[in-house]
Amino acid sequence: MDAQRAGISVPGWQAEVAELQPLNEMFDAQGRPRPECARVIAYLLAMESRRLAELGERAHRMFQTMGVTFNVYGDTEGEERIFPFDPIPRIISAEVWAGLEAGLIQRARALNAFVGDIYGEALIIKDGVIPRDMLVGSPQFRHAATGITSPCGVYITVAGIDLVRGADGRFHVLEDNVRTPSGVSYVIENRRIMTRLMPELIRGLRVSSVENYPAYLLASLRELAPRGVADPTVALLTPGPFNSAFFEHVFLSQQMGIELLEGRDLVCMDHKLFMKTVHGPRRIDVLYRRIDDDFLDPVVFRPDSLLGVAGLTAVLRAGNATLANAIGTGVADDKGVFAYTPAMIRYYLGEEPLLPIVETYLLRDTEVRHKVLRDLDHYVVKPTGASGGYGVVIGPSATDEELAQARKRIEAAPADFIAQPVFPLSVHPTLVGGGAGGEAALVARHVDLRPFVLLGEKPRVLAGGLTRVALREGSLIVNSSQGGGSKDTWVLEE
Amino acid sequence: MLRRIAGSLFWAARYLERAQWRARLVDVNYHLLLEVPPRDLEPWEPLVRITAEQELFAAKHSHASEASVIDFFVFDRENLSSIRSCIESVRGNLSPLRHLISSELWLAVNRLYLETQGWSAQALAAAGVSAFFAELQRHFYTIDGIIVNTMPRDLTYDLLAIGTMLERPDNVSRLLDVKYHYLLPRLEDIGGPADLRQWAAVLRSASAFEAFRKVYGNSIRVNRVVEILVFDPAFPRSMRFSIERLAQALERISLREEEPVPEHPPCAELLAMLHAGSADQTIAAGLHEFLIDVETRCARLSDHVFDRYMSLE
Repeated sequence: MDAQRAGISVPGWQAEVAELQPLNEMFDAQGRPRPECARVIAYLLAMESRRLAELGERAHRMFQTMGVTFNVYGDTEGEERIFPFDPIPRIISAEVWAGLEAGLIQRARALNAFVGDIYGEALIIKDGVIPRDMLVGSPQFRHAATGITSPCGVYITVAGIDLVRGADGRFHVLEDNVRTPSGVSYVIENRRIMTRLMPELIRGLRVSSVENYPAYLLASLRELAPRGVADPTVALLTPGPFNSAFFEHVFLSQQMGIELLEGRDLVCMDHKLFMKTVHGPRRIDVLYRRIDDDFLDPVVFRPDSLLGVAGLTAVLRAGNATLANAIGTGVADDKGVFAYTPAMIRYYLGEEPLLPIVETYLLRDTEVRHKVLRDLDHYVVKPTGASGGYGVVIGPSATDEELAQARKRIEAAPADFIAQPVFPLSVHPTLVGGGAGGEAALVARHVDLRPFVLLGEKPRVLAGGLTRVALREGSLIVNSSQGGGSKDTWVLEE
Repeated sequence: MLRRIAGSLFWAARYLERAQWRARLVDVNYHLLLEVPPRDLEPWEPLVRITAEQELFAAKHSHASEASVIDFFVFDRENLSSIRSCIESVRGNLSPLRHLISSELWLAVNRLYLETQGWSAQALAAAGVSAFFAELQRHFYTIDGIIVNTMPRDLTYDLLAIGTMLERPDNVSRLLDVKYHYLLPRLEDIGGPADLRQWAAVLRSASAFEAFRKVYGNSIRVNRVVEILVFDPAFPRSMRFSIERLAQALERISLREEEPVPEHPPCAELLAMLHAGSADQTIAAGLHEFLIDVETRCARLSDHVFDRYMSLE
């Protein structure tokens, strides 16, 4: 393996869409290993090509035996898939991580304050920092959430903040996920696999552990218990086995030692929440829900939903149980609101944002819209309400027809879309080939990073997070539902 | 424990037992036919009768050949009781409650499931029927052994036991009924070599052949087969043995309740019937009627257990 093969070359498309070359996470512009990556690179270089090729296959087999899978919406065939895994780890130095961690906590605290404010006094609107119609018009605004308070002021217990690293080496926020962010189980399972694949390397490098996440999460959830409940019962609410993240729901409930519930396991009586057990109803104090707002309570939201439990909102309003994340947190990760997040940090915390965000244009603004529509093929267009990479149009790689359709949709409902310039996501050496006797090679593929922040009586951050990698050459889409894979992320201790 | 989870455990155990049972049925029938050239036109037909799936079978196959029955019994995803479907159901039921069962059990079930994903008529032919079923049986025995040796004797274990022990008498009942009433309908054949071979096959299908030999020696008689499969207190697949285990599991569950129930009537009645009866008496009074009665009572017991511990209504 040499530096050239390890992904120094720039994929051809890049020259057309961005002036800047993407940053390579492992090598500097001169092709020299970055200091924090030197040992990993030496380890890989010393490896026989055959053994390198085997890494991917061994990892795949381990995932299969462990049953680590996800479901894809609309895929009736093979229902379960293994999230493709790349065995080349992504390294983050202690110094870089310290900066990220502070920025992530700052961001989560501001988003949380925003949710509390919006469903309370809405001062940020009264003070004119964010326009009122930005929120009232948001499909994520939930009237049912107004007046429901949290025992310790936490509405966003779990936040997944998607970061991308620019050509300047700085991490930028691409989007926030503060409804029911998923992916953390892969972080933990990936590490389990890596400790078997490269045990000596992990020990030698002093990689921060990720194993404590379930304990952190449980602690954060317990801190949400209604006042006066000394030993709260916490449970996880899942939409069920057909959900794409079901594996994670099983995994987390197992790791936390709490019940994994479906809506039909629950019943509300007397403004209290119970689960139906073999030996009768048992009280629930904190519900970690992994289903969307719309399906939570057929009395208040979609009446046809069988996934939630009738009367839940009334239980929450009575303060007899707490929901994590709270109802309506989606207002904070709306892609239109995203443009205001730096202002939000200044407004609530009186601090300068530590993490920059990717430039975001609101297409509701006529002037901006005209400018973007003129060069649509230079932008990434995203629907404001969606998540998971659904509905995203990437200008430079879209066909003329796709662009024409996007243009039509934007013109029909400009407030439903934002545009961002194509961001030169950093690349990382990634293992390809190696199956069926083919030669393995390390090539550059685009990556992002989703760290997880937990808010409770104090903030807790998982060291590292989920590095997602776009396995298709040149692709910028890293979502698991769109052909992305993942890597283990190693945060080094000082 | 959640009532829904209790139901999943119950069904996982039932499907596991059903899959094992079906594997033995096909395996035994295959070997039976290897040695004796079939005189009947459709020597595979009784299997379809035993499982009472004639209608579904007829909709897919014109006649019961080795290939069609094996396809229907082993591979067919549309047949919810095929071995493949059963194993998928076992895994599907256990997958969300991995935290309750031992990880060894999950891994063994998942391994078996992964194997079924590679199944096809061609693969079976390549492996050979004997080797295929021997391997499958090894998987089942491994899983059984893991359950016995790694799971604490708690509510989870008891619910699995209830599922297994409710499925078993049902299967035995069907097997006996079909052999007794449908095979060899001509009176003069009774006691003849073909008859004896079939009873031996019945015993083998219930893994009871060797146990039978130990108790009764060489000579196979109908009443003795009925005795060991229905009334025997020691043979692990007899109806009595199964219902006794089930009663014990129910009792342990009751004891964990705040207000234990003194008795589960459908269980107590069934048990009394199996304690009091004998093979000679039962055959004299009509085996078929007796078996139908057992099946009905098993269904009632199943409903009772479901309503009391699993229903979400």
